[in-house]
Amino acid sequence: MRGEPILEVKGLQVEIPVEGAVLRPVRGVDLSVSRGETVAVVGESGCGKSLTALAIMGLLPRAARYTCERITLKGEALTNASPRRWRQLRGDRIAMIFQDPMTALDPCYRIGDQMREILQQHRRISSQAARERSLELLRKVGIPSPEERLSQFPHQLSGGLRQRVMIAMALLCEPELIIADEPTTALDVTIQAQILRLLREIQRDTGIGLILITHDLGVVAGMADRIVVMYGGEVVEVGACDDVLSRPLHPYTEGLMRSIPVPGQTKRGDLLGFIPGIVPRQVGERTRCGFIDRCPYAVESCATGPVPLSAVGNGREVRCAIPAEKRDPQAWNRLAEAS
Amino acid sequence: MTVAANSAAPTIDRSMSPGRVALRRALRHGSFWVGGLILLAITIAAILAPVLTHHDPTAQDLARRFLPPIWAEKGSWEHILGTDNLGRDYLARLLYGARISLIIGLFTVLISGVIGTALGVAAGYWGGWVDLIINFVVTIRLTLPVVLVALVVVALIGSSLSLMIVVIGLLLWDRFAIVVRSATQQVAQREFIIAARTIGSSTSRILLKEILPNITGPLIVVASIEFAHAILLEAALSFLGLGVQPPEVSWGLMVSEAKTQLLFRPWMVAIPGAALVALIFAINLIGDAIRDVTTPEGRA
Amino acid sequence: MTYFILKRICVTFLVIAVTSVVAFLLVHLSGDPAAAMAGEGATESDIAAVRQLYGFDRPLIVQYFDWIGRVLQGEFGRSYYLRMDVADVLADHMPVTATLGVLALSFALLLSIPLGVLAALYPNTLIDRIALWLAVAGQALPSFVFALGLMYIFGVYFRLLPISGGATWAHFIMPAIALGYYATPAIMRLTRSGMMDVLQSDHVRTARAYGLAPWRVVVRHGLRHAIIPVVSLAAVQLGFMLGGSIVIETIFSLKGLGYLAWESIQRADIEVIQAILLVIATAYAFLTLLADLLNAVLDPRIRMS
Repeated sequence: MRGEPILEVKGLQVEIPVEGAVLRPVRGVDLSVSRGETVAVVGESGCGKSLTALAIMGLLPRAARYTCERITLKGEALTNASPRRWRQLRGDRIAMIFQDPMTALDPCYRIGDQMREILQQHRRISSQAARERSLELLRKVGIPSPEERLSQFPHQLSGGLRQRVMIAMALLCEPELIIADEPTTALDVTIQAQILRLLREIQRDTGIGLILITHDLGVVAGMADRIVVMYGGEVVEVGACDDVLSRPLHPYTEGLMRSIPVPGQTKRGDLLGFIPGIVPRQVGERTRCGFIDRCPYAVESCATGPVPLSAVGNGREVRCAIPAEKRDPQAWNRLAEAS
Repeated sequence: MTVAANSAAPTIDRSMSPGRVALRRALRHGSFWVGGLILLAITIAAILAPVLTHHDPTAQDLARRFLPPIWAEKGSWEHILGTDNLGRDYLARLLYGARISLIIGLFTVLISGVIGTALGVAAGYWGGWVDLIINFVVTIRLTLPVVLVALVVVALIGSSLSLMIVVIGLLLWDRFAIVVRSATQQVAQREFIIAARTIGSSTSRILLKEILPNITGPLIVVASIEFAHAILLEAALSFLGLGVQPPEVSWGLMVSEAKTQLLFRPWMVAIPGAALVALIFAINLIGDAIRDVTTPEGRA
Repeated sequence: MTYFILKRICVTFLVIAVTSVVAFLLVHLSGDPAAAMAGEGATESDIAAVRQLYGFDRPLIVQYFDWIGRVLQGEFGRSYYLRMDVADVLADHMPVTATLGVLALSFALLLSIPLGVLAALYPNTLIDRIALWLAVAGQALPSFVFALGLMYIFGVYFRLLPISGGATWAHFIMPAIALGYYATPAIMRLTRSGMMDVLQSDHVRTARAYGLAPWRVVVRHGLRHAIIPVVSLAAVQLGFMLGGSIVIETIFSLKGLGYLAWESIQRADIEVIQAILLVIATAYAFLTLLADLLNAVLDPRIRMS
């Protein structure tokens, strides 16, 4: 589903000064989302995907700074937008859904009050109208007996219901873009599927853009139109969802795919693939490929300099110096045995 | 103990005990130096009082009452800080008053520290009924207004320096008990205590050799707080006339005697007042520094 | 939750009961109450007369239960010096102390809470350092020195405020400041650390993510949580202030309970002293009970369990 572009981010960098050094957890990330499109940002913890989202929303912790070549929302350039403009946009044009609905909602206030607060912040609307709108959205996300829910406190709802409430809150002002940061990680597997289905429905109905941040490839498969794979603060692979999943180009993506058991194929006793090693600390400039320590195909030339992200046709991009034909199919097994 | 590791290791030598590590960090802490120097200055001034001034703080000279201090018009080097309503040299009274403050602070902290630590360790180590009862006792102590109780006792028994020390010492142990209790609870749960019990160490041995050394951090912090608290309490009691009695000298007493002169000779109130503030301030700084270096999280 | 409340109330009454015993013993065992009341220069027969009149010759237990029995009926005895019912004397003096206490606490809260919030919002900046230094200074200043200092600056030098008596509201300004500032460091620090914690929390992040106005985020979603332990602390500090008012009241000649205590101690008016100790201790016990209850009501986590 391609539509007009909603969000365009170019060259996003996040820096955090620490004692004696500067951490750079996000390095030169490009991201774009179009109307009605779901972009999944995938990577393990520490790869910078959440920070990227927070940076886009202007929600970075105080200690962090970010720079960006360009960031536009529906044509409006936000590169030097004032904090006031950002406050106007957040919750209104861009909304964010967080991972843990248990802690994301304020336990001291009723659901209805929290929803009304958001509406009245961005719109001139009476309490009565706010109530109507809240009810409408609670129904839309499939919450039974919404009138009751409005006067309940967050702790009185189950995890799945709470996440639905968060989605409803995100939709209150009809945003153009929703960023969902691990929206299902804290939920039961059965609830996960419901929530994901709900997000897809909403997207179909309203045509909003959705950025789905997750470390779980299983979540991505049925949901995303495009996948952006991140590692070590960089984008390492981009492409259409089915394309990337069936034909991963970057060794890291390959590793991720290998670690998923396939129903019907993976047999009991098979060793699940894994990528040995841990994410390196992100300090200073890159002097070589960021994945080199864990890559099964690494050769000396990978250490000579930073590897750029290159387009390889069909909307695919990958950050790797070793083309597919030069890769040894046994390399992963050797790596697994070595560790 | 093994020697510190390779050249890339941090500066802390692993062979130093936690106490020495803390001391080193304290020495690098600004507040510690400022507070320490002020306290040292006051202590030295108190000890060397007879050297620093030849005046007797209790010697009255009614012919030379209310002489102004050196910076005023008629001031003289003979009485650098002037004289009070009975002609006594103010500087001498200030220096000898420092002795009283420091002595009272020190001895009351010893008494309250012993009582509070004993109660706190007992409550923290044994828990259960012991803890319940001690908590109740602490609550009772907290419910009684300290200043009033001290006043009542001193008024009815009669005030002498040693009595004041005992009374204040018997009143200010509550924070010791509370802090030591929670510190003991934390220490008691750690493996080496369980290990010590398993190998059959006697309880008193465990308490003395294992628990006490490990609660010294918070203990010292509380000691500094209560040291200041005791000095303030004594000053307040003396101010009200029921603390240190003439002819002994106390800063609180000096302020009390000077308050009628507030309008015309405000320095007579300001000088002992400033001395009190400086002393308490120094003690607080030291306490803060020690707290900063002994808590793992560091500054809040 | 109701079980918790009931338990706390029972404990409070137990504490008050035991405290009354301690107060009683303190007064009766610190020397001879009869001799103290009879005063200096009293003869043996004078002292014996006082002892008989007040029943000091009876066993302590009997005296205690007699006293408590009367107290529970609202009868606090008779002031030896003032020749009035102690209950009346107390009633005359209580309003002043209560007013002073509330004003002092209000001053402390009005000063420390905003400072604590600002310090948390802008840590390690000028305002933060000012707040922390104010806290340190506040702890180092003895109340009577501060009171005299205020008196000098505002009462004598600038002649802005009255320095003695309790006739008008203006008379309470300096005493309230002198009494209240000592609670300021603790409240400010607690507010600051509580705010720093809450500002990192997920629900504040959500509030920010929805573009809510900064003051809303800080106050409605931040302070609302951070203030909970402060409320408890404030109640306890009020209790301390009631006990510590004696110095301030004597300096400013405010005729409150502290002032009464001071006079009664000097005159060895035993019945009054006992009654004041009991009243202040009871007030403190109820204030701590209130603090715990407020904590339970305001803290959503406790409500949830």
